Amino acid sequence: MALDYRKCAEEIFSHLGGRENIISAAHCATRLRLVIADNSKLDVEALEEVEGVKGLFNSNGQLQLIIGTGTVNKVYDEFLAVTGMTAATKDEVKAAAASKMPWWKKILKTPGDVFVPILPAIVASGLMMGIVEAIPKFWPAFGATDWFSFLDLVANTAFALLPVLVAISAARVFGGNIFLGAVIGLMMVHPALINAWTVGGMTDIPTWHLWFFNVQQVGYQGHVIPVILAVLLMSKLEKLLHKTVPEMIDLFVTPLVTVVVTSFVTFTVIGPIFSIVENWVLDGAKWLITIGYGAGAAVMGAIYPFTVVMGLHHMYNVIEAGMLASTGVNTWMPIATAANFAQFGACLAVAVKCRNQKLKSVALPSSLSASLGITEPAIFGVNFRFMKPFICGMIGGAAGALFAQLPFVHGYDMAGNVVAFGATTYGVTGIPGIPAINNIPMYLIELAIAAGVAFALTMIVWKEDEQPKAKKEAPAEEAIEAPTASVIRCAAGTVLQPVQGKVIARDAIPDETFAAGILGDGVGIEPTEGIVVAPFDGVVSTVMDSKHAVTLEANGMELLIHVGVNTVNMQGDGFTAFVADGETVKAGQKLLAFDSAKIKAAGYSDTVAVLLTNSDDMENVSCGLA
Amino acid sequence: MKSFSYTITDPVGIHARPAGLLVKAVKEFAGSTITIAKGDKSVNALKLMGLMQMGIKQGDAVTVSVEGGDEDAVCAAMEAFFKANL
Repeated sequence: MALDYRKCAEEIFSHLGGRENIISAAHCATRLRLVIADNSKLDVEALEEVEGVKGLFNSNGQLQLIIGTGTVNKVYDEFLAVTGMTAATKDEVKAAAASKMPWWKKILKTPGDVFVPILPAIVASGLMMGIVEAIPKFWPAFGATDWFSFLDLVANTAFALLPVLVAISAARVFGGNIFLGAVIGLMMVHPALINAWTVGGMTDIPTWHLWFFNVQQVGYQGHVIPVILAVLLMSKLEKLLHKTVPEMIDLFVTPLVTVVVTSFVTFTVIGPIFSIVENWVLDGAKWLITIGYGAGAAVMGAIYPFTVVMGLHHMYNVIEAGMLASTGVNTWMPIATAANFAQFGACLAVAVKCRNQKLKSVALPSSLSASLGITEPAIFGVNFRFMKPFICGMIGGAAGALFAQLPFVHGYDMAGNVVAFGATTYGVTGIPGIPAINNIPMYLIELAIAAGVAFALTMIVWKEDEQPKAKKEAPAEEAIEAPTASVIRCAAGTVLQPVQGKVIARDAIPDETFAAGILGDGVGIEPTEGIVVAPFDGVVSTVMDSKHAVTLEANGMELLIHVGVNTVNMQGDGFTAFVADGETVKAGQKLLAFDSAKIKAAGYSDTVAVLLTNSDDMENVSCGLA
Repeated sequence: MKSFSYTITDPVGIHARPAGLLVKAVKEFAGSTITIAKGDKSVNALKLMGLMQMGIKQGDAVTVSVEGGDEDAVCAAMEAFFKANL
């Protein structure tokens, strides 16, 4: 069923607390991202119920509504039209959100902001490197060919000159000139400097004596933190100079001073100090992975999804980039993979187990996306909402991460030597991680363990009756209460009153077809409440596309509940369906909601026809309220 | 077996009321089995629920088949019914 974008946008808008409560709006591939002035004015529960909204969460000062690929842009367009807002870019939304963030969160967020834009380059290089280096394992002669040499060069370019990419991206994040940023990055890997990767064995490293600093002439290949900080300094300095330098000479003075000062500080202070800090972070991460025979890795695998929820997981790119630079193996990736793939398993279990069609239609694609390493839809749209699948996913992640640290799990480098189990790139997990891993069979086992544990646990502990935590309150329980009065009785069973209101005789229904009994015997109800519930335990056979009528079956009885007369012409406007074809329902379960005022405004009667369409085949049929 | 094809012109298709009328019309020919097919799906025209499940809309081409009884007469009567009501 295609989503009505306009309606979706209007409904979202109606729960946001008014136009003045929305600071800005943007969207990414799957989410509508809004910056809200006062979160207390939001009706979060109502927002979650909007058709088309698969989930929502508040993060980094943004309200993010998960809508889905290919749909979100259309809802967004309608949303702009509905609100009269102008399109904000994602960067503006981020900037507006950032201003509301505490300082420590800004710091934690920065590496992610810097790394996300360059991920395509990293992923391309990393996967290619994985493939190129895997071929000689099966075909040793390939390693000596020109093709290998050429492809290897192409594959490692992004890694060899990573500081340039980081510097450009960081300049964008910090608001500096990206070309000046590029200069800083290029300078840090200048060919005239000794390559940081080859300096290891050298004893006589050339040194500059600049005032009282002794600067080793070594590049920053493979470094990240010093580069980000250098560009941060550069951007601040550049902005300060733009403000203070007279406009006439600004064009010459500002870039010159910016580059010279930044370069000097980078090579004398930032570089040496933060290279050491970076090594500590790296050593810390490596220590965490290997501590306690994998216990540290298990803990990391468990809490990893929490860092995704907080949006901090991109920070790990720094660790992963550092690992690749120092050892050539990203041992962090198996942990990230275990954590992500376990969320896939948990989400898949929800998709398999749930009967609610709306939930199924969210859970299935979300789990597929998680298997490809994009876990946000699964986590926010499904697992985190119900909490239990999320926790099962954490346990699965821990199990997978633990496995990856077992003594017999290791990888092989190009030459076939045993090395630590890990990947040749970062930014990929799950199925796309396969070409990048240095031991595919072990990787597949790890995936199976992570997803299998999470899937099995979720199947066991999660029950669909548990509503998402946001709506634990009364209505859910109230709605499932079966009505007590019956309107049709026959040998095969009893039809309870599906709509609150005044029960009238069939021949009093203001429509000759219904009144004449052509569609079977039954009653009419003049509704006082716009909710249709299931009149017995049975199966929904059809929900009309226009959501104004539903047919159900139970024990041979075929029942039609038709809301209003001629309401097919309203084409769904004013109607909401809560069930889908083929769904099993319990007496009292909500089937449809309708807006009596809208039906009357359209010029139709809102009388609900409740008809046993095969009443001719049933025995002892009696109709009327009892 | 006799059959004819028909393209639905009723703007709402075979919805509740037209379906009810159809079932009522079909019931008069108790000696014949009348089926309605759209694409690869077909349904006994006596089954109201089945008819509605077909989701037949305006512009859909359906095939109506009559088996048993006075096939020629029933087929003609059904064709007349479709033209008048659907």
